[in-house]
Amino acid sequence: MTRLVRAELFKLRTTPGPWVVLAATLGFTALGIVAAFLVSKGVVITRGGAVRRHLEFVAPTTVNRLRRLIGAGFEGGGVWMAAVIGVLGITGEYRHKVMTTTLLAQPVRWRVLVAKSIASVIWGLGLGIASLVIVAAMGVPLFVSQGGALSALSHQVGAVVPGLLGAFALMALLGVGFGSLLQNQVASVLVVLGVALILEPIFDGLVPAAGRWLPSAAAAAVAGGSLATGTAHAQLLAWWLAVIVLVAWGLVPTVLGFFATFSRDVT
Amino acid sequence: MSAHGRQGATIEVQGLTKRFGTVVAIDDLEFTVSPGRVTGFLGPNGAGKTTTLRILLGLVAPSAGTATIGGRRYQELDHPLSQVGALLEATSFHPSRRALDHLRMVAMAAGIDQRRAGAVLDLVGLSDVANRRVAGFSLGMRQRLSLATALLGDPAVLVLDEPSNGLDPAGIAWLREFLRFLANEGRTVLVSSHLLAEMALTLDDVVIISGGTLRAQGPLSALTSRLHSVMRVRTPEPDRLVAVLEGAAIAYRRSDDGAIEIEGIEPEQLGPLLAASQVVLYELVRERSDLESLFLSLTAGAGGDATHLGGRDDRTPGAHWRPASRPRGTT
Repeated sequence: MTRLVRAELFKLRTTPGPWVVLAATLGFTALGIVAAFLVSKGVVITRGGAVRRHLEFVAPTTVNRLRRLIGAGFEGGGVWMAAVIGVLGITGEYRHKVMTTTLLAQPVRWRVLVAKSIASVIWGLGLGIASLVIVAAMGVPLFVSQGGALSALSHQVGAVVPGLLGAFALMALLGVGFGSLLQNQVASVLVVLGVALILEPIFDGLVPAAGRWLPSAAAAAVAGGSLATGTAHAQLLAWWLAVIVLVAWGLVPTVLGFFATFSRDVT
Repeated sequence: MSAHGRQGATIEVQGLTKRFGTVVAIDDLEFTVSPGRVTGFLGPNGAGKTTTLRILLGLVAPSAGTATIGGRRYQELDHPLSQVGALLEATSFHPSRRALDHLRMVAMAAGIDQRRAGAVLDLVGLSDVANRRVAGFSLGMRQRLSLATALLGDPAVLVLDEPSNGLDPAGIAWLREFLRFLANEGRTVLVSSHLLAEMALTLDDVVIISGGTLRAQGPLSALTSRLHSVMRVRTPEPDRLVAVLEGAAIAYRRSDDGAIEIEGIEPEQLGPLLAASQVVLYELVRERSDLESLFLSLTAGAGGDATHLGGRDDRTPGAHWRPASRPRGTT
């Protein structure tokens, strides 16, 4: 299994897709960092009668805002890039027919799927770490330059990092699940992002009580709860329950995908 | 390749059937492929060749029957790539991956020494482009890279699906020599093609299928000996001709239009024989004078029993021919 995982990691790093996803993660994290510094200072009504929110760029001070700065990879939406990695690892092989080569080298298919899951989780963790690196490289200097107290920030690291990395890892697993179920690369990416950007907000608005069981909300709960914004997420699941829910979001489609498509004929 | 050579295993296909929904792609297929020989797996496009090979390699599940290598299914092999090398299509590469990386990736997954990647690239003549992305490769180069992938584990059995696709004439000649070399080392070489003539020069055995059923199998020599000796004769005195033929133990058949078709003899031998017997001839034509047309006649239409071409598996060769004075070639 070790050599299969190594081969899967090698595959990911020898194609451009994952590197593009890494770049996107860093970009989203940067957006998340900027967002953590923006504070609403009330509403300004202009002479024409237009309502304009007045934003100010200041170093975060509250626990909630400090955590949002550290967890900028999550806040900016970068965590969904981990799901895209999972999708790419499996659907790229169908798209370019590399699956044939993969299954000739390892004809026992569940082993291939397990190796892909592990490799994607490793990449997911890597993306989470990369987001933290950007926070350190860009967020912290910005924080200090705006007069933030480093001790206050470092105090929150332990509360955020494990959940943040957990969310990245489990989102990668979710990507493998959707990828193995749908096989088509474009469709899988669209479905994953559609769930994240369209379905979840709609669902949240309509049935807030059920919304917390969806991947983003579960990931938010895993990532430390207080990172989440908006009233709809006020009732997040307990972190341990959220871990189970997010693992289920990854494993159920993976297992379904294994039986529905992955174990079928490769023609 | 290894200088010591490798003793290949026998490929056995038994009662193999594959249905896709209501379509029967392969119907009760049965054949064997022996080590140390180059076996051509021939048939027109859509005959079921690729499906058969994919079942053999564990990629497609059969509806019935078995396909084994050395008595074991592909999925049961311990180190499949070190036992069986397969080339299935020249398009199964990630376009952005470098050629050497593709091979290293496969070696890694199969537990094969990484250095083999460079060695097989050298073997197929792609060392110069080892670090180029596959996207820039011609079809011929991709085909060579596929072959390199098949050879990575130094396997004793090779299963190649249309390996000559995309190769130029020089490439095809190179491939033929290469397959011959591999078989001479003792390996089992099964190579499919929809063009018999292209491969005929290097084949020892043939397995011919059409419409998912076996049409002929056996040594190629049996096929060639047959096609060069089929002659069509028109005569006003067919009974005399038949008497002469039976006297000389030559196989013949009366065709529907009154002509007589004669097998197992060259025109240079038949002419003097008929002249000596003073049989009047209106026409003496050698028919099916090339492999391709015999191939076409074998693969045209559906149904009927498979022709066994004789050789080691000698079951009543050419059953519709008579008389039964065998073996062939005594004349």
